[in-house]
Amino acid sequence: MDVSKDLIAASATPLILAILRQQDSYGYEIIKHIKEVSNDELIWTEGMLYPVLHRLEKNGLVESYWKKSQAGRRRKYYRLQEAGQLELERHMEQWELLFSILSTTIKGDGERRAIFDV
Amino acid sequence: MFDLETNVKSWCDYLRAQGTLEEAGVLELESHLRDQIDDLTASGLSVEEAFIVGVKRLGSVSLISKEYSKVNTDGLWKNLLLDPADPDAKNRNRRNIVLVILLSFLAGTAAKIPTAFGVEIGSIAYFKNLSFYILPFVTLFLTLKHGGTPKSRWTLAGVFAFSFAVVNLYPSYEPWHTETLTAIHLPILLWLITGVAYMGKDWKASKARMDFLRFTGESVIYGSLLMLGLMVLMMFTMMIFQSISIDMEPFVENYFLIFGGCAVAMLTVYLVEAKKSIVENFAPVLAKIFSPLFLITMLAFLVAMVVSGTSPFTEREFLIGFDLMLVLVLGMVLYTISAKNLHDKQDIFDYLNVALVGVAMIVDNVALSAIVFRLSEYGITPNKLAALGENVLLLLNLGVLFVYYIRYFTGKIEFQQIVTWQTKYLNVYALWMAIVVFVFPLVFSFN
Repeated sequence: MDVSKDLIAASATPLILAILRQQDSYGYEIIKHIKEVSNDELIWTEGMLYPVLHRLEKNGLVESYWKKSQAGRRRKYYRLQEAGQLELERHMEQWELLFSILSTTIKGDGERRAIFDV
Repeated sequence: MFDLETNVKSWCDYLRAQGTLEEAGVLELESHLRDQIDDLTASGLSVEEAFIVGVKRLGSVSLISKEYSKVNTDGLWKNLLLDPADPDAKNRNRRNIVLVILLSFLAGTAAKIPTAFGVEIGSIAYFKNLSFYILPFVTLFLTLKHGGTPKSRWTLAGVFAFSFAVVNLYPSYEPWHTETLTAIHLPILLWLITGVAYMGKDWKASKARMDFLRFTGESVIYGSLLMLGLMVLMMFTMMIFQSISIDMEPFVENYFLIFGGCAVAMLTVYLVEAKKSIVENFAPVLAKIFSPLFLITMLAFLVAMVVSGTSPFTEREFLIGFDLMLVLVLGMVLYTISAKNLHDKQDIFDYLNVALVGVAMIVDNVALSAIVFRLSEYGITPNKLAALGENVLLLLNLGVLFVYYIRYFTGKIEFQQIVTWQTKYLNVYALWMAIVVFVFPLVFSFN
């Protein structure tokens, strides 16, 4: 499924924050993670991810640190900050609101649903 | 054959040269690219294919990186300096050049200041301060480019100020031995300090230090080339003006050489810094060409010495000459090491290196015994003690390198351990230089 560009852009921040809430991670792993949990439906590009990560870091929602892998490769890890946690909750509320509006509108209006089914 | 390391590095240099990404961003993308390549090769792609695919995917990060896949690596050098791809980089390049010109001018002015205090160009007092005319500006340039923290900048400034104060507050009496020693050792010490500015916050890491050693070697070579150019220009300037009976010598001596020399130093740092780890690293190539030749020369020397039965080092000048040669040999060994890919198999140059180290050790032993002989014969002087200290340090360095190399050949240690040890040993050199500069004058009562 092709998720629209607008939707990908809008969902990037909450998804990144949610992944970092589970555990600290780095760019390559985040892209892989998204690919896996979406069964290859959602493919993020590096060009989308890194600017968002850097913006989040600049705004203090996440912080970064360097860590060496076992093979000796230095990676830039990102860690969720207090502010990021709050931001994530705010996003969740907004998404829930939107989702409930969308679903009740679809269910509650039979005539409109016919249009949706087409 | 496709060399992954070289290609990854040149890709990183390309990103750096465009100047829109900070160093940390480049490193982040580098590790990303490497992860990607690992995964792609694991799924059956060849390394070259994986590299191409990886670079293409990262192309989306910025237009710059996308441009890379279009640009041929051959033109990279040209790309760095002459025609960067986008207007942003063009501006940045221009800014850097303006900065280099400005700093060269400041350095040249600094080099003129002592003359206002009656210090003649060419005197020991002038040479003693040589590093202060140039290195603070090099350091400034490097911290500006590498974005050091304010704290690190102040620390570096403090070290320079402290050295400057101590060196110039110390008195100096005939026969000016300790002052001459300071003039020789201070630039080396301060160059190592400048290295801290080059390496930034990673200055303790062996990778950064190896980079700095490479940077030093490249600077020597590019600096010599630029200096050669300056000399040619100077000669022609004097000649053509002489033909119309205008004597340019005072101008050349007082301004041309000083400002030109400072500009050469700044420009060298700028050029070498801009191309950092690029494919065209020249110092290791030179080292590979000359290390066998030096090996032969030293062997021939040892043989001739034994056959003719002549003892060397009756004159101090020879002694210093030998020291310099050992430093050069050590330098060549280091550059060969630095050019080596950590995961490469041992090759002919490793064996050559170990032979070179072994022979250099023998020569150093001869030098050491000569110094000890001179010490016991004529008593301690600052010069001999400094030479002795340097020889002991060199011998220790060569000895440990020798042992580590043997252990590496027998598979007992990784090559990385040699690098780690060698880069840590730089501390010892810095310490000794500091002792000669700051402690020797006190001990020998400024004679």
